[in-house]
Amino acid sequence: MGRWFVLGTLATLAIAVGLIVGPAELSLARVWGALTGSENASAAAIVLDLRLPRALLAFLVGGSLAVTGAALQALVRNPLADPYLLGLSGGAGLGAVAAIVLEFGSSWSVPIAALAGALLAIVLVYRLAIVSGSVLDARILLLAGVVVGAFASSLMGAIIALSPAQQVRNAFLWILGGFDAASWQALTVFAVYAVIPLGVIYRYNRPLDLMALGEEPAQFLGADIERLKRILYVSASLLTAAAVSVSGVIGFVGLVVPHAIRLVWGHLHRSLLPAAFLLGGTLLVTADAIARTAFAPLTLPVGVVTALIGVPVFVVLVRKWAT
Amino acid sequence: MIGFLLSRLLVIPALVSALVACASDVPETNAGRLVDDNGRSVDLSRPVTRIVSLAPSVTEILFDLGVGDRVVGRTRWCDAPPEALEVTSVGDGLEPNVEVILGQQPDLVVFYSAVSNEPAIAQIESLGISTLSVRTDRLADLERATRLLGRFTGTTERADSLIAELEVDLAQLEESRPRDSIPHVLILAWDNPPIVIGEASFLHEIVELAGARNVFEDVDRPSLRVSIEAIVERDPDLVLVTADSALTNRVDRAEWRAVPAIRDQRFFMVVGNEYSRPSFRAPSAIRRLRSALEEWR
Amino acid sequence: MGDVIFEARGASYTYGRVDDRPAVRDVDLDVSTGELVGVVGPNGSGKTTLLRLLLGALAPSLGQALAFGSPAAQWRRRELARLVGVVSQREEPAFPLRVKQAVLFGRYPHMGALGAPSKEDLAAVDRALDRCDVKSLSERWVATLSGGEWQRVRIARALAQNPRALVLDEGTASLDIRHEMEVFELVSELVHEGHLAGLLVTHHVNLAARFVDKIVVMDAGAAVAVGKPEQVLSPRVFEQVFGWPVARADWRGVPQFVPLRVGEREAGTPNQS
Repeated sequence: MGRWFVLGTLATLAIAVGLIVGPAELSLARVWGALTGSENASAAAIVLDLRLPRALLAFLVGGSLAVTGAALQALVRNPLADPYLLGLSGGAGLGAVAAIVLEFGSSWSVPIAALAGALLAIVLVYRLAIVSGSVLDARILLLAGVVVGAFASSLMGAIIALSPAQQVRNAFLWILGGFDAASWQALTVFAVYAVIPLGVIYRYNRPLDLMALGEEPAQFLGADIERLKRILYVSASLLTAAAVSVSGVIGFVGLVVPHAIRLVWGHLHRSLLPAAFLLGGTLLVTADAIARTAFAPLTLPVGVVTALIGVPVFVVLVRKWAT
Repeated sequence: MIGFLLSRLLVIPALVSALVACASDVPETNAGRLVDDNGRSVDLSRPVTRIVSLAPSVTEILFDLGVGDRVVGRTRWCDAPPEALEVTSVGDGLEPNVEVILGQQPDLVVFYSAVSNEPAIAQIESLGISTLSVRTDRLADLERATRLLGRFTGTTERADSLIAELEVDLAQLEESRPRDSIPHVLILAWDNPPIVIGEASFLHEIVELAGARNVFEDVDRPSLRVSIEAIVERDPDLVLVTADSALTNRVDRAEWRAVPAIRDQRFFMVVGNEYSRPSFRAPSAIRRLRSALEEWR
Repeated sequence: MGDVIFEARGASYTYGRVDDRPAVRDVDLDVSTGELVGVVGPNGSGKTTLLRLLLGALAPSLGQALAFGSPAAQWRRRELARLVGVVSQREEPAFPLRVKQAVLFGRYPHMGALGAPSKEDLAAVDRALDRCDVKSLSERWVATLSGGEWQRVRIARALAQNPRALVLDEGTASLDIRHEMEVFELVSELVHEGHLAGLLVTHHVNLAARFVDKIVVMDAGAAVAVGKPEQVLSPRVFEQVFGWPVARADWRGVPQFVPLRVGEREAGTPNQS
């Protein structure tokens, strides 16, 4: 039980860090004051309206990405699976770029367009991966994801090539990921939405274990394989699509966190999934804090920070496997 | 995808390059040869009668110098003066379509000084056509560019008088700049992610001369991505947006309400292409902004 | 014999298009508790397909394939897994697994989505490990086991499911004699003493003949011989199905077949019938 305590502590610390650090320098005392309602409006606005929902949203998104990564890795029996292999990041990017370049006016236009693009990509990939009737072939799923993603990216490239340089910059910076659009409203919407796919994935934690034995053995041990694949694919895709539309394309969390967790917790999903959620959330909140503060007042794209952290970690993990 | 987009990203630092040039005379070498903004030697021996301009400010300067009739090609972004719209468009100014440019049979092609234009410059030069590269990011660049173009087109007197007028105007504006109750202005370029204008840009210069203070004047960059909390900390009085009116709609979101100026809708919109690049219309643009700010005060 | 567990009546199945050759043609078969049935035949004769029909992994194109009296394909996987333990042909866990955990997977059909394994689950695992004589391997990693040991572990897992039927698909294909005999003995014990219905698919006609109560010989999708080995097996059947001449050399009343070498194919060789 010690390791859960450590993980829980890390998660709490990360959120605390998210509240304390930032380009606006606020001392610990002032942060506490803002939380307890005894600070001025400006500090209160920063801590309560900006940093707190942002930290919580980053935590939720990070946790969701990690859980999705773990589920996908089990589903396709491939340790290199990442939520963005599903092709939907290309679709989301295309939607967002179109919204930015076509200058849709509403404040929700970019997230909604990104979500629409992602959903379209999901449907396309799903159709491509269905062979003979209703069987979902995992290998074709990966291939289809890559193909659809590449197609969406090339369309995106075409739009960008025909756009003024500033729109290019704006679109590009959005895609690279960030939590600047975080608010209590956005947090609530995402939380309510994410609970369902997260719950569904967790409910299938035992069949996910069985998938590791192969589809046939899993089936004879009680897993309804076709249903499982469909449900998991849909849940994973919807969850990732929501994450992308709220915060752009943030890589490495879904890929690396499950592997790190397996080193300590093993492969059974009953504990792997919640632990991955906690670690993914911790990682992303921390990455966001760094993104906001390292070069203040400049903000780095969060996707860049997660890659900078994720790549060395991944190298270490790969070496561990090799031995 | 990332690779492709990264190559595009090279454009941005070049486009909004932060190098501040000193407002000195055009450098000359012994043999009376000039050097342009790419550091390349410039050959003035031949007269120019057919000019393709690949930058909106260059187009404007050429018309200001009175040689608009010699301009045979412009970019699709060149929208001033109104006469310029009658000139044939050759497409983009960055990484331009060389074929279309050649179709206009120019004897001089004026580029915006950017790394991504190097291949096109080389191509055109190899065909024996003169090229010139200028940087026109800030007010100080205007003088140098005008002098160069004046030399090329044989309108140095006109160039000198334009520049002199501008200098007098700017000096006067600087002197009469209001020194008290200066509004703190956030110059907002984009909302998601939040992108603001920094010190190394033309818009910043205009705002300062108009008697306001850019809340991000301490950052030596033309533009930067920030978090909303950084904006809240600097507590601007006003928010300036350029012709993108949809921006004021898009910041109608919960997280932006932490910025009092946005919550209270204290927006300022500046419309007009004289705000997007340095030109000889800058003084009147500054004056307009100044009187608008007076009202706010 | 006890209750009928698996039943095929005129079962047929065709992969792909309707006019392709059927993999299983009009097969009639039943398997009861306490009965060990062996299905033999050359590659491509439809053995595995027949198995899949009886387990509901495939639905018959014609005829019926029943498990516990209902169409096998209509069973919910989880419910069938509580009744039938299957050891399939190939299995390679994608991650490192300890034997005890591998056998615990057999309890999954009985376990809910959340909650730790119950005392009963753990007891069932222990019993299964014991019964299959792999208790001493409990803490070993599955990847370090020999072929025979892994096979017995998988049988233990099937046993942990607390099934009424045990199904093995080519359970001994890559094993050496000792392990192969151990597996056959174990399965026979489990079926006859535990009153399970047993169905196994195998290459080894001779071994099958010695252990099973009923043998089914498949040839190009059809069941050409169904019944007690000593009654339905003969060199003629063997040659017709496997395409190689054999001589019969019985062992304790059970027909055994010896493939003839080229020089041995003469008329008048003893025990031909």
